[in-house]
Amino acid sequence: MSATHYSEDDLTLYYYGEARRRDAIERHLEGCPACASVYRDISGTLAMIAPPEAPERGDQYGLEVWQRIRHRLPERPEPWWATFFRRDRLVFAAAAAMLVVAAFVAGRVWPRQPAVLAPSGVLQTANGGPGSIAAGDTRQRILLTSVADHLDRSERVLTDVMNAPDRSDISSAQRWADDLLTTSRLYRQDALDAGEQSVAMVLDDLERNLLEIVNRPSKISAADLEQIRRRIDAAALLFKVRVMSDELRRREDAPDRSTPRTSTRKIS
Amino acid sequence: MDATEAAAVLDRARQGDSEAFQALVERHSRSVFRLAYRMTGNEQDAEDVVQESFLRAYRQLGRFESRANFGTWLYRIVSNCSVDLMRSKQARHDQVRGDSLDESSMELPAADLPGPERMAQSAEIEHRVQAALRELSPLERAAFTLRHYEGRSIEEISAALNLGTSAAKHSVFRAVKKLRVALAPLRSQES
Repeated sequence: MSATHYSEDDLTLYYYGEARRRDAIERHLEGCPACASVYRDISGTLAMIAPPEAPERGDQYGLEVWQRIRHRLPERPEPWWATFFRRDRLVFAAAAAMLVVAAFVAGRVWPRQPAVLAPSGVLQTANGGPGSIAAGDTRQRILLTSVADHLDRSERVLTDVMNAPDRSDISSAQRWADDLLTTSRLYRQDALDAGEQSVAMVLDDLERNLLEIVNRPSKISAADLEQIRRRIDAAALLFKVRVMSDELRRREDAPDRSTPRTSTRKIS
Repeated sequence: MDATEAAAVLDRARQGDSEAFQALVERHSRSVFRLAYRMTGNEQDAEDVVQESFLRAYRQLGRFESRANFGTWLYRIVSNCSVDLMRSKQARHDQVRGDSLDESSMELPAADLPGPERMAQSAEIEHRVQAALRELSPLERAAFTLRHYEGRSIEEISAALNLGTSAAKHSVFRAVKKLRVALAPLRSQES
């Protein structure tokens, strides 16, 4: 037996199979009761420590993690050419191309009416309506219809979430909310461009709440659900969405479309 | 997903393709959660570590070398996120209780242990082990977890935790010493 003993650290490394002179330690332990006792204590203690059983996570867990982090991902610089091919830009480009084609086809098909110059210098059609088929109005009507539909769909998602039972799976509402979120951003920008400040404000409120829904875990806890409900209630969001949708529909149906482009109705 | 496909996904993710990054998140989330849970010993903390790890990975993806193994790179990030989270929790905890240790969970005399007829011994061991692990410093706990539960070598631990080999080794040694002291009452009851 060797006169020198092995340290606790050496024996710990030996236990984990990382000691340098493994054979020498093994021989030493056979002949040295003191070291053998320390080693028994180390190995006995470490043998007690079994890996903790991690709670099970389902097959959809990766998707849930993605849903939670996707809106928190920081911006990363894109190559210059990639900005031309971003999905939202492609959607805009496709929409613009369709409008151009529609305008061209309408121009070819629409019966031509002689234009007369009114004394005031405003271009009028023969039946006297001031610019009633002007491109701006058409675009405005398309926007009104689309946003009203969008608000109706959003109202349904919000109502679903408001009425969801505690600890239920809201993943389908989240997917829907996520789609609406993308569309909502586009409409908000369109509304701002068209001078529709009230519409843009409601859409902005809506986006914040949709984002809240999207970012929560799919198996939502009672506390999380309560928080979302309180937030929607505090913003009177369902009320605003309904009122705005009704207003847009009325304007859309108005025969003379005399309603101003910037709504004066304040929703708060 | 085979190796070629995985490499292509990784390459796209490095170029900023978020769908490719989503594929990586979906593929690695469960193993990341398992490691985070072992590191922190707490489900909610593990969830926080999972999210923070992927966000950190996304930010650092540009620095990842494609020759390296993504899983290995990610577990380093998870280890460091776990240590950071445990440190911040410990700092908050220390503020609340001062610097005094919770001796009751460490040094309950063997005589005070409930008898086997009153309590399942394995549950008691588990309870003691968890209490003892909570008393380790974040670095000791991380090093011990990687060594004991994950079977990582000292060299791998030093790389994962950005430590020198000696520091990694001594973190494991200190952890084992503390655990021996904390669990001694159970050992003496056994023998």
